[in-house]
Amino acid sequence: MSIINFIKNNLYAYFVAKTLVLVVLVAVLDFGLGNVLRHYYFTQQSGLQYRTTYSLNSTTAQVLVFGSSRANHHYYPQEFETQLHQTYYNVGRDGSFIHYHYAVLQAVLKRYTPKVIILDITRNTFEYEPSHYDRLSSLLPYYQSHPELRDIIALKSEYEQLKLQSNIYPYNSSLFTIAVGNTNFNKKRKEDIKGYVPLTKQWAAPLSIDTATTPYAMDSIKIKLYKAFITNCTTANVKLYVVCSPYFVQYNTPDCSITLAQQIAQQHNVPFFNYANDTTFTHHNNLFADPTHLNNDGAIIFSKLLLLKLNALK
Amino acid sequence: MLFNSFHFLFFFLVVTPAYFVLPCSRRWILLLAASCYFYMAFVPLYILILGFTIVVDYFAGIYIQNAQGSRRKLFLIISLVANVGVLAVFKYYNFINDNLSFLLHGFGWNNPIPYLSILLPIGLSFHTFQAMSYTIEVYRGNQQAERHFGIYALYVMFYPQLVAGPIERPQNLLYQFRQEYQFDYNRIVNGLKLMLWGFVKKLVIADRLAIYVDTVYNNVPNHNGNTMIVATVFFAIQIYCDFSAYSDMAIGSARIMGFELMTNFNRPYFASTISEFWQRWHISLSTWFKDYLYITLGGNRVSVPRWYFNLFIVFLLSGLWHGANWTYIIWGALNGFYLVFAIVIQPLRNKINAALKLHSVPKLHHGLQVLITFVLACLAWVFFRANNVTDAFIIIKKMTTLSGTVFTKNPSMMLYSLLAIVLLIVVESKQEFYKGSFSLYNNSHWLVRNMSYAVLVLLILLIGVFDGGQFIYFQF
Repeated sequence: MSIINFIKNNLYAYFVAKTLVLVVLVAVLDFGLGNVLRHYYFTQQSGLQYRTTYSLNSTTAQVLVFGSSRANHHYYPQEFETQLHQTYYNVGRDGSFIHYHYAVLQAVLKRYTPKVIILDITRNTFEYEPSHYDRLSSLLPYYQSHPELRDIIALKSEYEQLKLQSNIYPYNSSLFTIAVGNTNFNKKRKEDIKGYVPLTKQWAAPLSIDTATTPYAMDSIKIKLYKAFITNCTTANVKLYVVCSPYFVQYNTPDCSITLAQQIAQQHNVPFFNYANDTTFTHHNNLFADPTHLNNDGAIIFSKLLLLKLNALK
Repeated sequence: MLFNSFHFLFFFLVVTPAYFVLPCSRRWILLLAASCYFYMAFVPLYILILGFTIVVDYFAGIYIQNAQGSRRKLFLIISLVANVGVLAVFKYYNFINDNLSFLLHGFGWNNPIPYLSILLPIGLSFHTFQAMSYTIEVYRGNQQAERHFGIYALYVMFYPQLVAGPIERPQNLLYQFRQEYQFDYNRIVNGLKLMLWGFVKKLVIADRLAIYVDTVYNNVPNHNGNTMIVATVFFAIQIYCDFSAYSDMAIGSARIMGFELMTNFNRPYFASTISEFWQRWHISLSTWFKDYLYITLGGNRVSVPRWYFNLFIVFLLSGLWHGANWTYIIWGALNGFYLVFAIVIQPLRNKINAALKLHSVPKLHHGLQVLITFVLACLAWVFFRANNVTDAFIIIKKMTTLSGTVFTKNPSMMLYSLLAIVLLIVVESKQEFYKGSFSLYNNSHWLVRNMSYAVLVLLILLIGVFDGGQFIYFQF
């Protein structure tokens, strides 16, 4: 009774007690809703988030393709499986950067050692852009279960660990995606083939010419992670190939990220293939879905061409 | 330091309890030190600019009060020139120089005046206007000159409203720094609730809509007319939520310590005329221009053409206040034109209303007026948001075609945006039309009340944009 009386009679204590009640209420609701979201996040059977979960937790494919949307749409699985006689999975993810690729590699190497890894890199791949770190939110649901990802997730912001005290936060802005991922909607709409998502549109516009590439600041963390990606692959005896796949843009100036990526790859004796301005593609807009993405027809042709080179290196 | 950052959260959790622990006579020291820290978290060096205007205005205030006759005006002019001079150099120098270069190039000449490589000090227009209101009020005899340098510096630098207002008047704020505010549970809860709603408006609504608006407005050639309409409506809501959220957080964080700042927004999109819109939107700036410019120019107690000129020039300068860019100037001019045009066609509007018998259906009539006002405001917002004047005209041209499918790259992004808009409409409609009715946020039952707070926190965690940008009005 004396404590209750003290709280009632002391304004500060009353305020603190009321605040605690609210904090407990928020914590309970956060715990409940967060766990419901966690459950349904990991029961998804299709979609982007499902593919990330599969890449981190389940794939045992011998050939893995890493990279952003261009990786995800440019490497046709059947060609790789037929010609290399190895299983294939595409771990590429739309709007991801080297931080994400490196994190997925860490999770994969912790479980098993693939035979071949193809890392698709883009122009501006080492550009310093703070918003790119926001994209690491796609790894937040795995923070608890994958300690090897924590250092990478910490790059997102200095208060990430504090935010992750919430059970809901890892699933921020994922409510509808989780709901859809638990239905057959994605499978009907845009089914993936071993992680590869074919694009069916055809680009109609003529080749665009980039004459004034704007200079940009380089991100030392991205460069460091790219080097670490290469080192981890070579240490684990994984055959690594770094590739810049085709664009439907004629770039008249070399991109400093591509140049640097090539130099680093060569220093580590890693084969580097640059198809950015390959005329097989720059003369055919029908092979593209948009200026930066091949469609399915383009992906098949590109995969065949790349495999010729890979087989030649054997 | 952004209100929507952990940095501010820690700052707030240190400063607020410390404020109540300190004896009242020493609190100004804490608040001034905290305000300096708050401001220096952006660009530390710029505190020198603030320091310069504070020193000038502090002494100007005392000299104005002590002087007689024309010398009073002289000290006022010195103060105004110093403030406007700082604004001119840091905000308008490169803009003027740029336009001068354009003009000279037309004659085939080169502009010999160099560009300044400077960043605009954060919130410069806000604290400059607040400082100017002090010397003007001392000159007008409405305010005693402040003799305590620390208190005066705090008047200009008070951290809740330092970088984005509300732009206070000395009569409303200065005396409050000498009040002995005690720990008041209800007042603190009230302030915290206002801050929480501000966070929801910023993180759940404004920053969510910003994703779509930025995607469309930064890539005008690739989007159709219908997409432009959606993006413009989204921007209208984004800028309202962004700016009013800052005001809510400012007013809320000040209220917790006992300070009452002026209301800055009053549900502007329920206004039925552009004139009413400006009585509800950024009230502290509108009243500043009214008190210190419009009335000084003669207000409406002049000839009709001069009255129109007064209205137009006030809004033109209001546009220029927002930014050194033609887009803002056109935005201001367009709002000035709306006001003048509304007065000119008033007899015609009355005739149309009478012919259509709109007065017999007042709710429909009011609804139509609100809708028209919103459309006009949106049209002006195009200029405010567009990256340049050319883009703005392309956007308006596209909007008139009403063509194409609305761009929805990511359906869930659109769903969150619509959810956020519905939330805002429900809350604001309730506040506007059903003020005294049932309320979750102010419910008499503690559990319902606390559940409503908790739901808002969960909403932020669930669909808030955590990596959003700074407040739009910081740049001004």
